[in-house]
Amino acid sequence: MTRYLIYTACFFLLIWSCRRGSDVRPSGPQPYTLNLPANFPQPVYDLSQNPLTVQGVALGRRLFYDPRLSRDSTISCGFCHQQFAAFAHFDHPLSHGIDNNTGFRSVPGLFNLIWQRDFMWDGGVNHLEIQPLTPITDPNEMGEDLAHLIAKLNADAKYRGLFNDAFGAGEINSQKVFKALAQFMATMNSFDSKYDSVMRKAPGVQFTAEEASGYKIFQNNCASCHKEPLFTDGSYRNNGLPINASLHDAGRMRITNNTNDYLKFKVPSLRNIIKSPPYMHDGRFYDIFNVFEHYSSGIILQIPQTPTVDPLLRNGLPLTPSEQRDLYFFLNTLTDPGFINSKALSEIVITN
Amino acid sequence: MKLHRLLIAFCVLCIACKKDIKEQEGTLQITFKNVVNGAALKLNTTNYTNAAGETFTISRFRYFISNIALIKMDNSELKLPAAYYLINEADSASKTIDIPAPGGEYRGITFMVGVDSIRNVSGAQTGALDPVSGMFWSWNSGYIMAQLEGTSPVSTAANNALTFHIGGFQGQYSALQTIPLISPISLSVSEIRHPQITINADAYAWFNQPNLVRFQTISTIHVPGEDAWKIATNYRNMFRITDVTDL
Repeated sequence: MTRYLIYTACFFLLIWSCRRGSDVRPSGPQPYTLNLPANFPQPVYDLSQNPLTVQGVALGRRLFYDPRLSRDSTISCGFCHQQFAAFAHFDHPLSHGIDNNTGFRSVPGLFNLIWQRDFMWDGGVNHLEIQPLTPITDPNEMGEDLAHLIAKLNADAKYRGLFNDAFGAGEINSQKVFKALAQFMATMNSFDSKYDSVMRKAPGVQFTAEEASGYKIFQNNCASCHKEPLFTDGSYRNNGLPINASLHDAGRMRITNNTNDYLKFKVPSLRNIIKSPPYMHDGRFYDIFNVFEHYSSGIILQIPQTPTVDPLLRNGLPLTPSEQRDLYFFLNTLTDPGFINSKALSEIVITN
Repeated sequence: MKLHRLLIAFCVLCIACKKDIKEQEGTLQITFKNVVNGAALKLNTTNYTNAAGETFTISRFRYFISNIALIKMDNSELKLPAAYYLINEADSASKTIDIPAPGGEYRGITFMVGVDSIRNVSGAQTGALDPVSGMFWSWNSGYIMAQLEGTSPVSTAANNALTFHIGGFQGQYSALQTIPLISPISLSVSEIRHPQITINADAYAWFNQPNLVRFQTISTIHVPGEDAWKIATNYRNMFRITDVTDL
């Protein structure tokens, strides 16, 4: 009898719970699940403060590829951040902008941004969400006034709808724009290169003899700054490049006002490096072998050396031609084809 | 009997809650009156003289007020919920702020000129902190705490411009300033009493004490650092309570 009662109760409970479930129609933005690799550290960006949604990410992607974010509607974020170059600007040493303007630094690749503490070659931007403010408003880049941009978006019925879908009803403000862009940027992650497969011991994946030798050379010479698994330690260092007199770029010192930071720039990640030339903060090297040459013999040629040159580099990192070749093969294993071909990140043509 | 007790307990609870809500009620109104050496500030049209004897005009005068606390009669401080206000001379509505405050009697108020360090590192903000105001440095993240722009014939900058964008929230040259102001009469806040305070903010103080600023040598500041800190140390002295109406 008791059993019968329990069964009946369960049955009614089931009906009741089903009814409730069917009452709740899917409305509002749907959560977007971000799958992150177990061997990566905790993201720096606090995703709980800006939970990813399908609608938010899609809106961010549209904003990223919409040239109307620039003053004269010619340059989108994606104009300089090209997916096939891991979102760097292929073949462009210095950033380009509206009115034929040229910036004074190279376009960094965009990936694994949620693990980044600060942004820009000098680390001047302290949060992923406000990072886009710089290129949008910089007269050498997109040159748009933030208030004007927000007004443009509010006047656009399509955007009003998309923002409502992602963030609920209400005026479009800069916070929503930045949060949408941050949601899209949070999905630009690269951790599926051959290197990653080898590290995760994926069946059947191994380094070739050259790659394995290159990995050793990398570990002995490069890994202390280009720290695995992100291939950067996020620090600022002077890697011994002679100052480019025409650019007058003091690097990190511009932000900290500290002479100890003179000519220091952020250590960039080496992921997708072969896909994103030219190299260095001013794009002075078109070929990765020029970079090897700089570390191998270029630094010690400079007399006198700037006092802020990193102690690890003062005597250079001598590499024989065959070591350079193996290192090149290893760096190729850091290319993530799934990332640079991802349909979820690719350019969308905006027609309305 | 049991039900009876429960009912009494319930009533007590209701009364207790009601009283709590009542205590929260009250408003303090602050009106900022921007002046230069005591005279009302008029943008663009009036010539002023700084402490170094140089003439100048002001075209823009804005500053953030935040982290407001009330000074209780025993000198302890009562922090109010986080709120940020951008006082803008060009926008008269911005110069009067209504602050919800718990009922009680207070000796004065303290507030921060600027935006505390936490909000400088917390990503995209809204309201008064929306960077759409332009009171935010994009290349070196952080709020411009206070801004004074104008002209002076002795300025060596293009178009004789004066550009004082004061900011920096960290390190030895942090521009953050917390200002305590004791009211000439105590402030009674309650459901029926809404004190109104008028605070003069004197732009003259920016260039006067303790760091005399000559426009001939300093006419442009738009980075955090020692110069910005010097001005912030000066404008720390710019506020005076000039009037209190206890309604």
